[in-house]
Amino acid sequence: MKLMVEFDATGVQYPNIAAAILKSGVMINVERAQIDGDEGWTLLDVADNDADVFIAALSRKGVSIRIQKDAVTHNRTECVDCGLCIGLCQKKVFSFDENWQLVIDSERCVLCGRCAMYCPHRALSIQK
Amino acid sequence: MYKSIDEINERIRDGSVRVVSAEKMPDIVDELGVDGALREVDVVTTGTFGAMCSSGAFLNFGHPEIPIRMERMWLNNVEAYAGLAAVDCYIGATQESNIRHAEYGGAHVIEDLISGKSVELHARAKGTDCYPRTSITNEFTLEELNQAIMVNPRNSYQSYNAAINMGDHAVKTYMGCLLAGHRNITYSGAGCLSPLSNDPTFSVIGSGTPIFLGGANGVVVGEGTQSSPGNGFGTLMTSGNLKDMSSDYIRAATMTGYGVTMYVGVGVPIPLLNEEIVKHTAVRDEDLKTEIVDYGTPFRDRPVIKEVTYAELKSGSIEIDGEEIRCSPLSSYKKAREIAGELKVRIEKGSFTMALASRPIDALKINKPMAEKGNVRHVNEMMVLEFVTITGNESVKQAAKRLLKGETNHLPVIDADNRLIGIVTTYDVSRAFANDEQDMTVSEIMTRDVITIGPDAPVDFAARKLQQYNIGALVVIDYDRHILGLLNSYDLGDLVSGRGSP
Repeated sequence: MKLMVEFDATGVQYPNIAAAILKSGVMINVERAQIDGDEGWTLLDVADNDADVFIAALSRKGVSIRIQKDAVTHNRTECVDCGLCIGLCQKKVFSFDENWQLVIDSERCVLCGRCAMYCPHRALSIQK
Repeated sequence: MYKSIDEINERIRDGSVRVVSAEKMPDIVDELGVDGALREVDVVTTGTFGAMCSSGAFLNFGHPEIPIRMERMWLNNVEAYAGLAAVDCYIGATQESNIRHAEYGGAHVIEDLISGKSVELHARAKGTDCYPRTSITNEFTLEELNQAIMVNPRNSYQSYNAAINMGDHAVKTYMGCLLAGHRNITYSGAGCLSPLSNDPTFSVIGSGTPIFLGGANGVVVGEGTQSSPGNGFGTLMTSGNLKDMSSDYIRAATMTGYGVTMYVGVGVPIPLLNEEIVKHTAVRDEDLKTEIVDYGTPFRDRPVIKEVTYAELKSGSIEIDGEEIRCSPLSSYKKAREIAGELKVRIEKGSFTMALASRPIDALKINKPMAEKGNVRHVNEMMVLEFVTITGNESVKQAAKRLLKGETNHLPVIDADNRLIGIVTTYDVSRAFANDEQDMTVSEIMTRDVITIGPDAPVDFAARKLQQYNIGALVVIDYDRHILGLLNSYDLGDLVSGRGSP
């Protein structure tokens, strides 16, 4: 699953991710991150069965953790199931089912926003 | 054996007609043979739903109490062609709004009308004795129009190139966004379900062929513009009543970075009159070939990267240079199936009969490119050959002197082998001085990602690059990054600044 982790001004002063990995012994993948002196956020990928241990290890003052759900909003009325998003998304969020209908696996999303930007029918939006 | 169109229409009227979707024909022919399939099946339905830029509609508004001969006209701020006198226009799908630009265009006006929404008309005229009025602003709905007739000069492409981008910058095209470094492939068309794939010799389809168009019962006008069936790229010109259309089958769209387009649903029924026609409708995706071409090249004759079948395209990935590349359509196969299915229902219900074409379409015709009169100018004819350069380890102060002496704003930076490694401009140097950095080296302040061009590129391409990156000059280099010259935007004059003006 994906964890959206936000750091406030105190949170950014401490090596939160490194400490949580050492403490929990859980491997994670940093999908995206933007951190500066005042605040920051990172999107982490962690195996579902390791998530509880890792979240516990990462929980600290100045750090807020949210499990990312429904990252992609799909407007079924506007969508025509063209599938242009399928090839554009390198994280394989989109695919066709056996009836050529678009299927979305939001859990894989890293919030890059490319699908929403290029959807010809403006049928996709990404959680802020 | 053969069947007449009258026999088929008789069966449509008495409800005994046997209709199948083109997708099912290959298996039916395999099982029953061509002769058996001809006995068992009367009509094959096809369908396609994709971006068809070449679309639009003729509208007639009726005359107002004080008459006007509209000369220029806007519908929801999208200009429509009004040179048809006096209260008619043609609203083209790709025309963009003066205000919302690519997010709203002619296609959106058409979709709004079909959805029953009110649209604002604004028109201007010079005024004449018989048409005294000089302007009008009014709201109207589709219902209020006398006529609203969709005419698509070119649609239902027999097949179309698939697109890839071998270049190192993403390109935004009518085939969607193509990622840098060949990371996605896009294609259009329904393959074995496409109308013209099932009648490539135009044995049945011609002027007057009844079709499904955007939900309405429409008609083939005749050969589409750019039609090139001689090499597999036939097109149709189609028409239908906008008032009978549905937004299920007409959808406005925007290809980001390219512009407005319209997704149109077309279905053509193919009456099975003889064995030759049956054989054509038995086509499979495996039999339909197309080419993946490089849209990273801004020229008409784009390099072919690979020949593929629609079966390979529909598999979702294609191997290029040993890598599996994700491949996705921009037309909707689900909708294409829906259209073939809806057409089948209409025929079975008796509300859609067949007709022979009244004029045939030339199945051997090959499209010609534009023969440009006059010479196309190239970069090497317009670049300046006198330019000054600097090396990376010289100081900013030396760069300033060099710029002044050379009376130029652009100073390419070269390495020991005279290869281009960066560029500094008067702006970079002024900024360095303002920040007290005049003793820094050129390599510390230079831009490393230099926008360059080859000497053989057309100047129009250079002009677009200058505008795209908002820069004053391009460095002209050869394959070894040796500098050949500089191309300044002010030397291109109208090509850069005059775009878009009439």
